[in-house]
Amino acid sequence: MSASTGVSGPRSLPTTAQSERRQRIARTLTYSFLIAVAIVYIFPFVIAVVTSFKTEPNATADPLGLWPSPVSTTAFHDLYTGQDFLRWVKNSVIVTLSVTFLRVFLDSLAGYALARLQFRGRGLVFAAIVAVMAVPGVVLLIPKFLMIRQLGMYDHYSGMIVPLLVDAAGVFIMKNFFESIPVSVEESARIDGASIFRIYWSIVLPMARPALVTIFILSFQGSWNELAHFIISAQSSSLNTLTKGVAQLASGQLGSGNRYPLKLAASCLMTIPVAALFFIFQRRIMNVQSGALKE
Amino acid sequence: MLKRFREPGIRGHEAAAGWLFLLPVIVILGVFLILPILMAAWVSISDWNGNGSPLGAHAHYVGLANYRHLLTEPGLDQNNFGTSLRNNLYYVIFVVPIQTVVALFLAVLVNRRVKFVGFFRTAFYFPSVTSSVAITVLFLFLFDPTGAINKLLSFVGLNGPAWFYDPDGLFHIIIKHFGVHNPPSGLANHFFLGVSYWDWLAGPSVAMSVFIVMAVFTTSGTFMLLFLAALQNIDDSINEAAELDGASEWRKFRHITVPMIRPTIFTIVTLGLIGTWQIFDQIYVGTKGSPLNTTLTPAFLSFNASFNSNEWGVGAALAFILFAIIVFFTIITRIVTRDRDTVRKRRFRGALAFVGIRGDR
Amino acid sequence: MNAQRTTHGVRWQLALAAVAVAALALTAGVALAGQQTHKAGVTVTALIGSSGPAETYAVNNAARAWSKQTGNTAKVIVASDLGQQLAQGFASGNPADIFYLGNDQVATYAKSGVLAPLDNLKNVNSFYPSLKAAYTYKGHLYAAPKDFSTLALVINTASWNGAKLKNADLPKTWKQLASVAKKLTRNGQVGLCTNPEFHRLGVFMLQNGGWLVSKNGKTATVNSKANIAAFNFVKSMIKNGSMKLTNQIGAGWGGEGFGKKECAMTIEGNWISGAMQHDYPTVGWRVAELPAGPSGIKGTLQYDGGWGLAAASKNKAEAMALITYLTQTKVQMGNAKAFGVMPSVKADRKPWSTLYPKFAPFLAGADYSKSIPTVPNIATVLGDFNQQLQGLPNTDPKTILNRIQSELQSVLNQA
Repeated sequence: MSASTGVSGPRSLPTTAQSERRQRIARTLTYSFLIAVAIVYIFPFVIAVVTSFKTEPNATADPLGLWPSPVSTTAFHDLYTGQDFLRWVKNSVIVTLSVTFLRVFLDSLAGYALARLQFRGRGLVFAAIVAVMAVPGVVLLIPKFLMIRQLGMYDHYSGMIVPLLVDAAGVFIMKNFFESIPVSVEESARIDGASIFRIYWSIVLPMARPALVTIFILSFQGSWNELAHFIISAQSSSLNTLTKGVAQLASGQLGSGNRYPLKLAASCLMTIPVAALFFIFQRRIMNVQSGALKE
Repeated sequence: MLKRFREPGIRGHEAAAGWLFLLPVIVILGVFLILPILMAAWVSISDWNGNGSPLGAHAHYVGLANYRHLLTEPGLDQNNFGTSLRNNLYYVIFVVPIQTVVALFLAVLVNRRVKFVGFFRTAFYFPSVTSSVAITVLFLFLFDPTGAINKLLSFVGLNGPAWFYDPDGLFHIIIKHFGVHNPPSGLANHFFLGVSYWDWLAGPSVAMSVFIVMAVFTTSGTFMLLFLAALQNIDDSINEAAELDGASEWRKFRHITVPMIRPTIFTIVTLGLIGTWQIFDQIYVGTKGSPLNTTLTPAFLSFNASFNSNEWGVGAALAFILFAIIVFFTIITRIVTRDRDTVRKRRFRGALAFVGIRGDR
Repeated sequence: MNAQRTTHGVRWQLALAAVAVAALALTAGVALAGQQTHKAGVTVTALIGSSGPAETYAVNNAARAWSKQTGNTAKVIVASDLGQQLAQGFASGNPADIFYLGNDQVATYAKSGVLAPLDNLKNVNSFYPSLKAAYTYKGHLYAAPKDFSTLALVINTASWNGAKLKNADLPKTWKQLASVAKKLTRNGQVGLCTNPEFHRLGVFMLQNGGWLVSKNGKTATVNSKANIAAFNFVKSMIKNGSMKLTNQIGAGWGGEGFGKKECAMTIEGNWISGAMQHDYPTVGWRVAELPAGPSGIKGTLQYDGGWGLAAASKNKAEAMALITYLTQTKVQMGNAKAFGVMPSVKADRKPWSTLYPKFAPFLAGADYSKSIPTVPNIATVLGDFNQQLQGLPNTDPKTILNRIQSELQSVLNQA
């Protein structure tokens, strides 16, 4: 890498001078690229936040302005009074928390069984789970709706939550992680006669914290941001989640104006939880993504 | 692996515990994945129109009529299907290479020893954690005909298009500059899946192009991290050796870096293909297929046929055709990547873990 | 043993209490039933697609009044996407009892058997016959007309006066329309703008003597000479710059382009008054009847609103009573006052025109306006028509009309 050439071994003088100049150019180029791209990536979010504090005419007339004039909290106020915003938040929280915690538990349970317990059919189940991962989610919209209505779970929390409780990818990640833990830890517990569930619960699970956090983050983000499944599993507006509510806000109605500050305010607010999670577990997330590849 | 536990009693316990531990996963995957697929398969060969239960008296077997309807019978459904296929194909053709190149480019940048590298990584990754709904709303605002982007363009004297309202195909716009305004009759009068050759060659519409930009914006961060992991696995000594040989940056990148991370490139292309064929949320929130059906995608069309037009059989058939398309592309990519070393296969499988998580992007 | 006995005791006590409560409830129920003709405490759900807070409020008010009067409960649900929620409701087997139903959907749903006929509605004879026809499929009425609206020409008065146009210049013919549109195209404003939609541009088909289907409703006539000529006329105005489609100016609908002063005239229905009042209060506007075609034929299109009844409803009698209540003269006039729609009952014609003298052209249009033919799946065809019309500026109208012709014919063949 260019930055490391500076410390590499002794060379004849002219080459060093040349390489130093090249190095400087390279570094300048790198920084200008980085800064330019960072602006492109950050600017839209800045605009979103700023615009949510604008009045509607101001937002329309001056979409680029970085300072709202006048500063207005009308959009947020309208969100609380004119929309069912708090109910959307409540539903999103209920669904996301139920899905996340149960999914972490069920995925780790299954992952442990696949990694550690010897029984006939294990390979088959694992193969089936890998196969299931390959089924694209969007293709399942209609099938899932049919099943949910058949089971009488349509338009209830259960229909929104239960189908999301298990994800094959999570089972996969947990299995890989458990396999990386040395067996010797469980061995002594077994000799002491501890039950399998006990070993799983009080010995292995605490050691699997990194993987659990991974599943937690992925599940939280996934179910908080989920839209399609909620569209097909419920119709009552009282069961609207944030994604569904804001999506409907975005479609708008004839003659209601563009209401950009309102829509952007809602978008900003709904981003806060995942953004917070992201910043708390930043290091972890950066590893989550690459960890899946390394196996 | 678990030789030590081979006493018969414990193994009996293990089998029971194993199945018990797996039970919730098996039941839920079975009930909400396997059974629904079977049920949808039935609906796709029935004339069920949304009245009563598809398993009841209202549904009758109609053979492959729904599939024929989409694939061979000229008419509205075929037109829409052909159009959606065209739109999504261009979306895939543009998004997959661009997001792969951008992600690699970003990864190379943030892999350098620079100051504030954490900040830059965060900035590039952040769009990936936000919901597609929020991002779409943001893009609707940015790309409003009188919005931020057109304002920016006006600073450099450009008159921006109406973006989400503009159905003109990019390729058509380009050849217009060379004086081609009307299609040659050979292209206009021949049809495939209800879409004329001329329209097949239209390229993504301006409206679809905004979705392409949006996809690159939201996915490049995720893939950047995957590339970054791969780059960090490259042994520094290889690069240093090349440097001593006086290889230029580009040559090093081209002849050392790229071959070393080829498995990751294949993985990302596969994930990209699977994800881009599934675009739904953005269309649902943003355009619902408008303008002139140029942002209609098979996933949205399938949803729409069922939930808005009551053509459940056609909608289900569409879902299976889309499934076939995705499987087809996955197999193609696998064939291309086969015969590599086993490490790659393991990596590919590992990366598959992502399909379920980020595949919708 | 001991514990078991206690459980037994408790169980007996509970059972006794339950019997007592049930007996009480029964007596109360019998007593109540004696006083009322309806079962008490029935809840009827009503799914509506609201145009805004005013409409939601008005419908809720009416529902409350009915609940008070009958002892039943009418629960109003505001749909965010009516079409989709209706479809999901039917497919889930648990639809709302009554719901808004556009006449473009009525045949589709009637054919699939999810609607209950309303031929025996108490006030069935009070509606305009043309509105009843718009909801009749295979001889049965499948929705009670609740209101309707027609399309007319909406004009920006400042632009009109600025172009030195007088009352006498209000366009009576296509030629005059083209000429005023040209005169109004000035100062960065285009003369006429409208949605690229069948339900706007289709008025020109009617004015030229064309229509979607033949008289007997069996044959599609979309690509008739009259229709091609009508769209060529529209295209000639687009070509000479005096007319633009709203997608060309980046507006969501005609009212937005008109309110933002992108255009001086638009073709819209009476719902535009709400938007003008709320979003563009400073823009002065007036309404005129649409011009007649070359052979003097007047024509406009109408949107029909109606209440449908689900075949799966468990409280059909109460639901029908609620529909009758919601479509009676008094309630309809209340809605008209609240959000400007035109009532579907003949008796309201006079009071409405005294209430809204400014909107006389909309009501005048009722005499010659047409509704979409009641054909199953016609909504999908018209949806495609709307999509194709977005490309009108760059496409030969004949290509579009030929395409829609074959689509409509195949839908007619299946009907």
